Amino acid sequence: MELSEHIKTANVEDVTLRRPFHPALRGTLCVTSHHLLFSDRKDEASWQLLILLRNIDAIEKRTMGSSGTITIKCKDLLVLQLEIPGMEECLNIASSIEALSALESVTETYPFFYRPSHLNLHGPWGLSSTEQYYKQTERLWDRWRVSTVNSDFSVCPSYPRAVIVPREVDDEKLVQSARFRQGGRFPVLSYCHLRNGMVIMRSSQPLTGANRKRCKEDELLLQAVIDGSELGYIIDLRSAQQAQQARMTGGGFESKSCYSYWKRIHRHHERGKVLQESLIKLVEACSDPSHSVDRWLSKLENSKWLSHVHSALSTAGLVVECVERDGHSVLVHGSEGTDSTLLVSSLAQLILDPASRTLTGFLCLLERDWIQAGHPFQQRCAHSAFSHARLKQECPSFLLLLDCVWQVWRQFPLALEFSEALLLRLAQEVYASNYGTFLCNNEQERCAAGVKENTHCLFQSLLSPNIEEQYLNPLYEPTDLAIWPSVHPQSLQLWTGLFLRWTEYAQNMEEAREEMWSIMKEHREKAGPDRTNKTPSTHCDTLTPFENLMDELTIL
Amino acid sequence: MASAPIAPYNSSPLGNSSSQNASRESLKMEPLADVAVLPGEERVIDKDIIYICPFNAAVKGKVSITNYRLYFKNTDSETPVTLNVPLGVISRVEKMGGATSRGENSYGLEITCKDMRNLRFALKQEGHSRRDIFEILFKYAFPLSHGMQLFAFLSQEKYEENGWNVYEPMEEYRRQGLPNSEWRVTFINKNYELCDTYPTILVVPYKATEEDLRRVSTFRSRCRIPVLSWFHKENHAVIMRCSQPLVGMSGKRNKDDERYLDLIREANGTIKLTIYDARPNVNAVANKATGGGYEGDDAYQNAELVFLDIHNIHVMRESLKKLKDIVYPNVEESHWLSSLESTHWLEHIKLVLSGAIQVADKVSSGSSVVVHCSDGWDRTAQLTSLAMLMLDSYYRTLRGFQVLLEKEWISFGHKFASRIGHGDKNHADQDRSPIFLQFIDCVWQMTKQFPTAFEFNERLLVVILDHLYSCRFGTFLYNCESARESNNVRMKTVSLWSLINSDTSLYINPFYTPESSRVLYPVASMRHLELWVTYYIRWNPRIQHQQQSPVEQRYKELLALRDQYLKKLEELQLSDSAPSSTHLTNSSTPNAATANQHITHLQTPF
Repeated sequence: MELSEHIKTANVEDVTLRRPFHPALRGTLCVTSHHLLFSDRKDEASWQLLILLRNIDAIEKRTMGSSGTITIKCKDLLVLQLEIPGMEECLNIASSIEALSALESVTETYPFFYRPSHLNLHGPWGLSSTEQYYKQTERLWDRWRVSTVNSDFSVCPSYPRAVIVPREVDDEKLVQSARFRQGGRFPVLSYCHLRNGMVIMRSSQPLTGANRKRCKEDELLLQAVIDGSELGYIIDLRSAQQAQQARMTGGGFESKSCYSYWKRIHRHHERGKVLQESLIKLVEACSDPSHSVDRWLSKLENSKWLSHVHSALSTAGLVVECVERDGHSVLVHGSEGTDSTLLVSSLAQLILDPASRTLTGFLCLLERDWIQAGHPFQQRCAHSAFSHARLKQECPSFLLLLDCVWQVWRQFPLALEFSEALLLRLAQEVYASNYGTFLCNNEQERCAAGVKENTHCLFQSLLSPNIEEQYLNPLYEPTDLAIWPSVHPQSLQLWTGLFLRWTEYAQNMEEAREEMWSIMKEHREKAGPDRTNKTPSTHCDTLTPFENLMDELTIL
Repeated sequence: MASAPIAPYNSSPLGNSSSQNASRESLKMEPLADVAVLPGEERVIDKDIIYICPFNAAVKGKVSITNYRLYFKNTDSETPVTLNVPLGVISRVEKMGGATSRGENSYGLEITCKDMRNLRFALKQEGHSRRDIFEILFKYAFPLSHGMQLFAFLSQEKYEENGWNVYEPMEEYRRQGLPNSEWRVTFINKNYELCDTYPTILVVPYKATEEDLRRVSTFRSRCRIPVLSWFHKENHAVIMRCSQPLVGMSGKRNKDDERYLDLIREANGTIKLTIYDARPNVNAVANKATGGGYEGDDAYQNAELVFLDIHNIHVMRESLKKLKDIVYPNVEESHWLSSLESTHWLEHIKLVLSGAIQVADKVSSGSSVVVHCSDGWDRTAQLTSLAMLMLDSYYRTLRGFQVLLEKEWISFGHKFASRIGHGDKNHADQDRSPIFLQFIDCVWQMTKQFPTAFEFNERLLVVILDHLYSCRFGTFLYNCESARESNNVRMKTVSLWSLINSDTSLYINPFYTPESSRVLYPVASMRHLELWVTYYIRWNPRIQHQQQSPVEQRYKELLALRDQYLKKLEELQLSDSAPSSTHLTNSSTPNAATANQHITHLQTPF
């Protein structure tokens, strides 16, 4: 079926658009295969609103007499209303939105059609890969190797083709270990701490089952990770009780007797449905239209969102404590190893590693530790907080990561090279995007769908010269130290920039942000003329540091 | 275990952040042990003592008490633990345990402070070792209860600036465009005969005679008649402040008061004068029983009465007490948000702010308003001063904010002495209440929502609150201007503004962008109010302490770097032929202490 067959009414005139805190507008509404377009042609300067249909989470329709109202609730939490004259038109538009916002086939989605003139499809896709990380990290060369045992995705369907493993463990052992881990996700290296060579590994749970099966190769693999040092830590993201219960369904944990060099610590993390419901409750509380907002703080607390933020940050802090303070390697896993595992290991890197706090470094981290590591974006982000559809695999793990990063940014306003704007952009892109970056559930699916050949890469576009600037933190000051966030409840705050994004307040802050930028620009301009002063050319060499310095200032 | 390297602006969530809080206090002033006391400060007693720090173990050390402060320094370890507490901050001193109490450190003193903390000290049990220190503390912390003077009268501090000159009423009224054809200045109160809690200079409707004012004063609680607080230059609407009318149970009326309010209304042709009664409706009704009340519909036909539902001083005091319970010494962790909610502190902040927004909105739409509560010195001051802060960008400057406090709070008789209890031992006094703190909190909320609109920074607000209690300056002493005058405060004490205006750079918000015409309407929804953690929980070592926010500091560093760069460039152009490399290396490092780290980083190419 062609996409256009879903469109019975493509154009409606005289539609009224209502948005929070804006006057109502009248104009024309168009539906295309991928977009909803509203344009207000009353004025000379016409105003347009373009919404990606993929961004629509839920719609509610109401008909009254000969006209109807459609309430559109977007995945980026914007809610708007369209009043459409003509009942039939209203119903047609509603059904087009319903069908086109939930396209099943990946290759029918908009990123496969998005062809802006300034981007070009040929050329390398993405920023980073396992091989590149290995190449850059000299510290690994001695004891670690890149294995391509998964080059046809047969050992672990959700892993990339290449992974980093201990040099002394051969591919045959990896295959055995993969059979012993849920979904084949055997322990692989995620990060190496340059200061002391300790590593963060991640995997899924071992399939010990009720009768305590063992796997020699898996035990050897983990032993090779520690390589003679006295101890490693396994951070199990389930409570001890849950880990015990997992054995009944074929899962389990690394027992002390079989993995004698590893010490297991349990930290309970909520997953899947619980997190999704927490997000729904939070958004409900945030979008409560009543003015009195009685018991707001209790509602906020009851959503438990901030307590999930708290657990993620404090477990990441625990990992950092093991690696940085105690000097031990760490293995992180929960059950599948595709959600909280990635959350904790990537947050730990952000806290530990100055390289992951630059704009490029952060995007590389996301690419390696979320996209290539097989976080099932398509399943997790099928819906956000408004959908009434029965929940399947939805879970806001990635949103939780962004929130945690925002908390770190708020506590260390100078330490990250990127700004809140980047986090907000990512929060939007992950649910609906022009780019192919967040499509599919893993590398295997991406290859099958030809994502890299037929879509553009979001991260590359974010780093392109004119765009990058919007996402930089003007006050960035690199520090080599670990940045330990405080996780006390009074230190964690609601991410108003995201969750209260469409309220008036956000606009105040937007204005303030613009003002700050304009002060900074003004200073830059003041510095400008002096900069152009011709400096005697003989001084050229020695001026380099000042030019660097000036570059620093132009960020202002 | 190697301790983790921690950036200077980091706090460690995983414990091990010993005594940060106590030691940073000492940064503000030279340690007393090296006797860098304030001029006029005298040492009274030194004593060996154990400080029972709620965040660490007990610390052995020495305490010194002067006529201004309590200073403690540990003697038992390398890491310094110090306390530097102005005695004015103390609200209560109690003995803890007896000579026969068992258990370690069970015999000593417990000190309750007005600034959200308590201090506990232990002493040796034998020989009545605490008797002298208890008596001295009790005497010097509460000098007024012992026939002694507050430290502000003993201080010999000298500053370049004289803060007493900050506020000149006539100058301020002229700035507002007064007097004019609608409003006149009256000196009827020059000997405080009309109203002993008002200032001497008042602005009233041009058409109201002195006799009118006298008659109106008989019908207003404590003679606090409606007088002008602020005048809108464009639409000529005004904010008037006063106390409640003395309506009483019988529903008395007063023709002069009714006519006077009508004169206010007529001055700029307001159709209906809005009277904002800060109280909840029921409280206003209940006040009739004690002779007070509110402006009834039939008596004031051209006015509209709006109740703003702000609770009284007792409710606010209890709310803050609850807040202290959940933040000191330990922060209630498990149900933080609902515990915070149950203190109602933010809810009260919300009501005060939204009341002020209504006042500001009405005035900017061109209608004159009258604001009162019961006596017109607590909630009224909050509302008028916040509304003025929203309406008039002058009050958002460092100088203007001082004028605002001097005018709406100090000169119009907010009862600082009673509300704070300066030098008074009666800690349970029902007159005490954190009304001014609540106002400063509202200001802080506004600065959070409009980060570029205020010339001053958070530090100014904290310093104001610290000296609200300290009794080092005369600014917040006494209940009203007449009392201040008879005690010669201006002559005998130093103004807080002398301290602040002698080094303004500490209090300047680098992001400030002056903008004259805009009215600021903060969002007073609970969703957008935050607990002022860096004030209320600042004693907890786990809260990041910043003398200055890192953002501000970084911004200033970059500006300094830029200036430095421009200077160097100039020098370079002058000394065109000088051997360049040495010249540059030398000149890029000095006098950039703040930007040091940065420079080092950039120098690597050499």
